[in-house]
Amino acid sequence: MPEIDKSGVAFSALAGRNASSETGQSSRVLHVRTARVLALTIAGALLPALAFALPQAKPASTDKSPPAAQAPPASPKPETVPTGYLGAEVCKTCHEDLYNGWEKSPHWKQTYQQGGIAKHGCEDCHGPGDAHVAGGGDVTKIFRFETASTKDINQRCLVCHAGGTQHMNAINSEHSKNDVSCVSCHSPHHAKESEFLLIKAQPELCYTCHLQQKAQFDMPFHHRVNEGLIQCSDCHNPHGTVGPKQVRTSSTQDAVCFKCHIDKQGPFVFEHAPIKVDGCQSCHLTHGGPNPHMLKLSNVNLLCLQCHTTSTFSSAPGAPSFHNQASLFQSCLLCHSQIHGSNFDATFFK
Amino acid sequence: MRSSKRGRHTSSVRARAAYFAIAGMLLVASPAARAQDDLTESKGIDSGNYNVHQSVEFGYRASEINGNKDTYDTFENLGSGVRLFDYTLEMHSLDHKGLLFDDLSFSNFGYGGDPNDVTRLRIGKNKLYDFRVLFRRDKNFWDYNLLANPLNPAALNPPGSLTTGCYVGPPTAAFPQGAPAYCSSPAVAINNSPHAQDLVRRMQDYDLTLLPNSAVQVRLGYSRNRDEGPGFFTTDGGTISDFNENYSYTTNAYRVGVDFKILPRTTISYDQFLSYFRQDNAVSDNPIANPQNFGFVLANPSGVGTPNGTPVDLGNIWSTQTPSEVLPCAAPIVTGTPNTANPTCNGFLSYSQVGSPRNFMPTERFRFQSNYFKNFEMSGSAGYSSSNNQIPNFLETVDGWTARTAERGSTTGGPADAKRVSVNANWSGVYALTDKLRILDSFRYDNWRIPGMWELDETNIFGTGFPGLAGLQQSEAIFNPVNCPLASNAVTCPQHLTTSAADVITGLASSFLGQNLKSNTLEVEYDLNRRVMAHIGYLYTNRTIAQFSDTNDSGLIYFPGGATGTATAANDFLAARGSCTEVTGALPAGCTLNPDGSVTFVAPAAPSPTRSITTINESALLLGVVVRPVDALRITSDFEFGYNDNSYTRIDPRQVQSYKIQANYKPRPWAVVDGAVEIHENRDNVFTVNNLEHDRSFSFATILTANPRLSIDFGYNYWNVYTQSLVCFPYSTTSANPTPPPAALPLSAFPPGVPMLPTGAACPIAGASSPLGALSIYGSTDHFAHSTVIWKPVKRVTATVGYGGSFVRGNTTFLNPLTPSGTLDFDYQRPYGSIAIDVYKGFTYKMSWNYYGFNETGATNPFGLAAIRLEDFNGSNATFSVRYAF
Repeated sequence: MPEIDKSGVAFSALAGRNASSETGQSSRVLHVRTARVLALTIAGALLPALAFALPQAKPASTDKSPPAAQAPPASPKPETVPTGYLGAEVCKTCHEDLYNGWEKSPHWKQTYQQGGIAKHGCEDCHGPGDAHVAGGGDVTKIFRFETASTKDINQRCLVCHAGGTQHMNAINSEHSKNDVSCVSCHSPHHAKESEFLLIKAQPELCYTCHLQQKAQFDMPFHHRVNEGLIQCSDCHNPHGTVGPKQVRTSSTQDAVCFKCHIDKQGPFVFEHAPIKVDGCQSCHLTHGGPNPHMLKLSNVNLLCLQCHTTSTFSSAPGAPSFHNQASLFQSCLLCHSQIHGSNFDATFFK
Repeated sequence: MRSSKRGRHTSSVRARAAYFAIAGMLLVASPAARAQDDLTESKGIDSGNYNVHQSVEFGYRASEINGNKDTYDTFENLGSGVRLFDYTLEMHSLDHKGLLFDDLSFSNFGYGGDPNDVTRLRIGKNKLYDFRVLFRRDKNFWDYNLLANPLNPAALNPPGSLTTGCYVGPPTAAFPQGAPAYCSSPAVAINNSPHAQDLVRRMQDYDLTLLPNSAVQVRLGYSRNRDEGPGFFTTDGGTISDFNENYSYTTNAYRVGVDFKILPRTTISYDQFLSYFRQDNAVSDNPIANPQNFGFVLANPSGVGTPNGTPVDLGNIWSTQTPSEVLPCAAPIVTGTPNTANPTCNGFLSYSQVGSPRNFMPTERFRFQSNYFKNFEMSGSAGYSSSNNQIPNFLETVDGWTARTAERGSTTGGPADAKRVSVNANWSGVYALTDKLRILDSFRYDNWRIPGMWELDETNIFGTGFPGLAGLQQSEAIFNPVNCPLASNAVTCPQHLTTSAADVITGLASSFLGQNLKSNTLEVEYDLNRRVMAHIGYLYTNRTIAQFSDTNDSGLIYFPGGATGTATAANDFLAARGSCTEVTGALPAGCTLNPDGSVTFVAPAAPSPTRSITTINESALLLGVVVRPVDALRITSDFEFGYNDNSYTRIDPRQVQSYKIQANYKPRPWAVVDGAVEIHENRDNVFTVNNLEHDRSFSFATILTANPRLSIDFGYNYWNVYTQSLVCFPYSTTSANPTPPPAALPLSAFPPGVPMLPTGAACPIAGASSPLGALSIYGSTDHFAHSTVIWKPVKRVTATVGYGGSFVRGNTTFLNPLTPSGTLDFDYQRPYGSIAIDVYKGFTYKMSWNYYGFNETGATNPFGLAAIRLEDFNGSNATFSVRYAF
């Protein structure tokens, strides 16, 4: 009788010693999974229904056009409106398709309905349009993101988006330094992804430039980015960080790896020092690689010996004399299984 | 035989996949399917005050994999069954005045049994709140059998013969045709990784932002990470076995943050994080929990000691390669009816390990960003984090036999405590001297320290000395005046060796690791014109790393009693051993003979351990140029040339060179071509290390969308890594590893390249303690090609074919000829295809086929190894699904 873990998977499959017994549980597992699918579908169907069932502030309108279009709001503080601004309705007369897209986006409320710095609709981002209109649509008389420099584009976006959890270190953005602007990845008008208005979903968006990483994530041993479990932006902040490679840190100001690999975080009484000093990449590739556990070398012992060789210029102890590489000790990890750190053994046995 | 069987399997799978595909096509070609209305892209429906767009895709996947299914599950783990491939719900308020929310996005995939299940939920109402939920469940099945495999040798051959793959050593006078070596009796192949595991991780993230975009906004968050499941654990205990380990890790993290935008063009933030970690793993080895380990029982008809028929775990290393390292023993099985375990072998009767670390990690962080001043922008943060990992209840219990120390068992415990205190701060500022010239400075300070302490409490248990019994047959002896009266020669006394450790050990283990880092980067950015930008900078980093580790045995108790002839009055019946070995007939200082015959040792005050201090100064020149020769072409480049005056590990670079060039070319609206070159060179080339590393890649990719009906993308990546360093290691001369191999062995029996090290090659590092050595190398080259063609032959049909393949070839230093080349050389190919047919308004029928072919091309089972199963697999997944969207 195989031992069943909580996920309903026969543990004997793990050992590969009694794999056929897994099928004995398959119908039960299938029922559980089917029930989950049904529950999700029902939940998904009920969620919008819940919203409909709740009383609306106003009678639901069947007219698709927004009230704003029916009665363009005047600026709440007309005395603060500089000259040259015409309002979004004027833009709509020629750019209706863009207007319609923008109208449904999160930018609409920020740039149209709100007071303060953002209240000019399209012209909040594109600048005053009077010269543009007076010129018969002269494209040189208005700010165009297609032709603007990265610096100018980023400045415009950061007027509203500066600070916060994502853009706090925009100064240090490697993307910005390499002429990759906000609109290289985001599109307020033509976004393919509703979240963050991205022009393409991750990771394909990132692979556009980071070609090597695509190959690494296609290796047999890799972080599950292509599978959609994690995203590039889970580990990197594309808007800039203080550290190298725009890598994030964990909430405890430690390596971002510990967000998922919580068992490796410690602190341990006995730390494997290079992990904390140099990082996980001392032994592992970070995106993907040809070796198990994304190790940098195919042979674990050789990887260990690179540091654990007694010599000058070495801070790590050498392999002791009884570690005969010819016979029993063909994997250091057999004994040193707690290699990421231990609370009870300086040699990481337990 | 094997290959032909595999070939039949492959044919069967392909035939099955083809059958499914044809069946699917016939379904589509049916009259009902042709009776369609005009199809349009779903724009959603307006209902109430919302535009609602919903889609669901579900179906069935049939998976047929041949070969090593465990390797497939380690890589892909996509099985058969009904799946929810995708479910999305988008709701947007038509007038941005929804009652509860303006926007809602809900998406899911993977449910029903796939290894990756993800749910994302976003609900927001402008100016009021933004709420995001992310749930991820990932199943981590791991069983790549070469990882941590002991690589047991083949069965023992009679001296002078060479018949079944047991490697024969070099000729000697006694064995002119070669001495037996690299052998085991019997051969036990380990077909699964001793570190296999089957874990499930559930990660939940909830983030609520109140009053977004207001002058004061509040952020609340909660994250939970639960990782659990069965796996295996190995540790050294005389022999090494696969113990069951039930993993159980949980982190609950809470966060509160406030953003103040009170000052003009300035954001000030404060965050408080509270994170709680708990671990409740349990390791066990006993006949009930791990019956596959207990293949033999102990024979003991005497009636005393360990009961007759007690199951024994002899471990997973079976080797007689060298007399001094025989495991579990020279002849583990006593033939009879039934066969029984040899009681003198190293082995376990049971093992357990429990402990419940609890870690509380509060963190405070202050951040700001401001461009309050004209032409000057700055940002920075300061944080403090302290975590306290407490383990009050660790207990390891061993019931077994370790021949080299005569231990019959042990218990180890004691509370442990480790802290991590981190203080960090950073500041960055950029000043625009002119429209074209900017100066950027970035400073980083990071200081953390990890002090740890363990109050160890260890008891070593020794067996009784009943005549006629040995090793595991002896029961655990209990030292008391009844069992062990003076003069401590009774058979019920614990039986020690002169080299046996103390029976009771109490001590204090302490450790410290810390790093103080200060780094500053000064850069100048200059826009030569709108087509050329450049930056140059200087990075300086100073790191000081401090560490020490010390174990002070504060109290030891040596019980008397020993094997016949070794326990005498002169050595206090063997209680005077170890730290209390008599010197000129008297116990040394700190040792006291107790009335019961035991000897107590109290260590003098421990000297302060010497801290190891490493200071590293790094300087680096940073360069970068961005060129836009034409609007359609952008070329960016980054270069770094660094030098460190010291290194912490032998593979930390003293010299760093980095070259990155990327090009993006869009000659036509329908054509995009990208290219990239990345080269990293690291060197720690001091004479005792000689470490060189490089990582070089050359890539290109292109996307061609000739018309809305046809899209083609393809690319290629060349990736080469190399590392070398001098290594020295112990290498037994008794299990000789000759070069060249004996004439009786075909050279083809060995891995390609350099199969082994020359016998007797001296360690090239003067003063190293290890006898042998080499300039170790590892090199790997990956050719990765990918392509996708999407074709819409008619409006309602979308066909996709694609391919992704990695071809890896490498070479490395083989420390042992029994080592398979494993992932050094392999091909991993994954072609795929799919057809999507818009059957009716919103209804799409999809069929897809994915092939997986993993083939290790190197030496998979070297001569002399107890043959283990191959890691290769191949097979197909056929998926049939229906998508409905409105």
